[in-house]
Amino acid sequence: MVVENIVDGGILYGLIAVGAGLATGLAGIGAGVGEQGIGAAVVGVVAEEPGFLGKGLFLMLLPETLIIFGLAVSLILMFAWTPFA
Amino acid sequence: MSRVVVAGSNKVIEPVIEKLHELNLLHVVNYSGGDESFEMGKPVGKSSEYAEQLIKLRSIERYLEITDKMPDKQFSTDQVISQMGGILGNLGDEVIATAERISEIDNEVKIKQDQAKSLKPLAALPVNLELLYGYDSLAAFVGTVSSPVEADVSKVSYVNEVFSSGSGAATAVAVFVPVEKAGEVSAALSEHGFSEISVPRGLTGSIAGAISALESDAKRLEGEKAPLQKKLKDIRAQHEDLILAIDEHISIQSQKAESPLRFASTENAFVIDGWLPTDQFDMVKKELEGAAGGRVQVEMLDGSEAEKFVEGGEDIPTKMNNPKVVRPFELITRLFAIPEYKEFDPTPLIFVFFPLMFGLILGDVGYGIIIFVVMMMLRRKFRTPGWQSLINIVLISSIWAIIFGILFGEFFGPLGLWAYIFSGAHHVGLLGTVAHPHAIGIDFGPEFYGPLGRIGPEIAGFAGPVFPMFRLETASVLVLIGISLFIGVIHTGVGSILGVKNELAYGEKKHAYFERLPVLLFQVFFVIGLLGMILGGLTHPLVILSAVVLVVSIGMMVKGPEGVMGVTHVPFFVSNLISYLRLLAIGLASVGVAFAANQLAFYVAMPMLSGGGHDGFTTIAIVVGIVVLVTVHFINLLLGILSPFMHPLRLHYVEMFTKFYSGHGGGVEYSPFGRVRRFLRD
Repeated sequence: MVVENIVDGGILYGLIAVGAGLATGLAGIGAGVGEQGIGAAVVGVVAEEPGFLGKGLFLMLLPETLIIFGLAVSLILMFAWTPFA
Repeated sequence: MSRVVVAGSNKVIEPVIEKLHELNLLHVVNYSGGDESFEMGKPVGKSSEYAEQLIKLRSIERYLEITDKMPDKQFSTDQVISQMGGILGNLGDEVIATAERISEIDNEVKIKQDQAKSLKPLAALPVNLELLYGYDSLAAFVGTVSSPVEADVSKVSYVNEVFSSGSGAATAVAVFVPVEKAGEVSAALSEHGFSEISVPRGLTGSIAGAISALESDAKRLEGEKAPLQKKLKDIRAQHEDLILAIDEHISIQSQKAESPLRFASTENAFVIDGWLPTDQFDMVKKELEGAAGGRVQVEMLDGSEAEKFVEGGEDIPTKMNNPKVVRPFELITRLFAIPEYKEFDPTPLIFVFFPLMFGLILGDVGYGIIIFVVMMMLRRKFRTPGWQSLINIVLISSIWAIIFGILFGEFFGPLGLWAYIFSGAHHVGLLGTVAHPHAIGIDFGPEFYGPLGRIGPEIAGFAGPVFPMFRLETASVLVLIGISLFIGVIHTGVGSILGVKNELAYGEKKHAYFERLPVLLFQVFFVIGLLGMILGGLTHPLVILSAVVLVVSIGMMVKGPEGVMGVTHVPFFVSNLISYLRLLAIGLASVGVAFAANQLAFYVAMPMLSGGGHDGFTTIAIVVGIVVLVTVHFINLLLGILSPFMHPLRLHYVEMFTKFYSGHGGGVEYSPFGRVRRFLRD
């Protein structure tokens, strides 16, 4: 098997960049899907009881951790992961 | 806090209540009715009268749109009592009558407008309104049709009278035919798209005249409304504080009158249970005995007896006691749960970490200053305690944002970009000329860190730009990942240590040493291991050390109260730490948008609108560019207040509080019997 070096501008570098993008992007979609249910519920509650807004906003944030995980993977891919080096 | 019992003769219940209310110290435990020899007390004094007065006063407040606010004026009780009659009597009646008249007018105006609107299509019909209805032998069809109907109506009914006006789709018609032909005519009309308009009864004269009369009536009534509204506004302006003072007075009276409902009583005596700050006991005892002339018994239960009540499910009330600077942050604690009596109050920790995280995320001098100034202005406007706390929290946080802004070298986006824009070194700046138009771009190269220069050593092989540090640069991102994880370890570590302490306070050693402690070890050495890997790969001594400690900590978890199941929490602890990367991530998003705003304005909008910008910018380009700049920065600022606020909140609630806080269920806030007087002067 031919082992290519990862060089700036090389195809492997490009693939890593695409992977990093997918990691954050797909995680973002996942978080969005999670938030949609919570968001709808929170809007419903706030309509009945405005005092719940703070707690509701906070609950909305819970799935956002997912993006952070995606971002962590992206950062590792971009900056720290050098499999063939 | 001490458990206290106040018992006495029913004859002295009123002075005792009066004194307790005045002292505002005893947290009354409601009598639950569990004892056969006692029953619930009965209200004293004129409680139903107070309730009635309160209902009337509240309706006056609603009509005047008075809501709770901070007092501008204060009144003595005598003043309130002497003016209460007037406000609740004549003035109140006047307010209610005025408000009712306004809603009557609104109703009438609406009816008239509706009538005028429904008559509009008929305006040109040459028939008077009173002729359009009320026949016995004639059927009248009034409405609009889409095509002429005369011929078809004549076909069905030889005897007819048809009036029409207008043409096309909105032809107005009034068709009169003998009653017996009504069915057939109706069928014929519906083929022409007839839609009926119900003629309002009681109007006379020509239709157009009626419409203008209705409209002018509506206008006149609207005019009548304005002075009434002004009257209410005047009354409000004049009496707002007094009305709120009366509200406070009656509320206090009614609270006192109804308080025996919370006490246990017999035919001749009453018993009040409650909690009292221990150091206040002697004073309260003396005051109560003085007020009741010695006919009351005040006793403190000793520790073991009080313990019994606690075991029976009674909560010892908690009074959070923090220095003044820290106090606003009690709002954040309270939103999660009131600490239990024996628990550590996490408010000071929030005071330390929350603004720090806010600052780290926002990290922009310009945004920080704007938030600071806006909050200073809002501070005067919103003076209720809840708003004040919130504003003070953001105020303290914005100072941290400014400090981090200086470290990051950001002023509405990276400072370097500003220097780039205004110096015109590589491209036409606002004030400069083109040197190398092709060198426009995000990549400034390593020598470019703004006029402040850069200091700092190399970190792990990367040139570490420490000050000012351009957050979008690769090396900075890596440094910030480290900082975020470091803050995470400290944050969760403090939480874990408190968890150990809390469990020990409740006497649960096994939970302390085999559930809380291994979490601390795991998280700390997980990060130390990571650090070792970065410094020297898998064989670095730190990596080996931390691997050993990780195994030991997992072993401790297995020995813990949950057994092998305890190990299933391990991914949770790792994700806890990774979660702190949001400190970096949201900050990057914020600086990214600011950066984009500047780029968009200076490198896209302005050059494009001035034909490439090779010869400087035109005025219109500069104006458009500035509009773009302000808009995008404004949106970013709004997001920049919300995200840096909510995410640290989450880090506290989810990542830190779960380690130690309210594992035993929330506490009860100390709310003594009494009331802080705001509008009433003593």
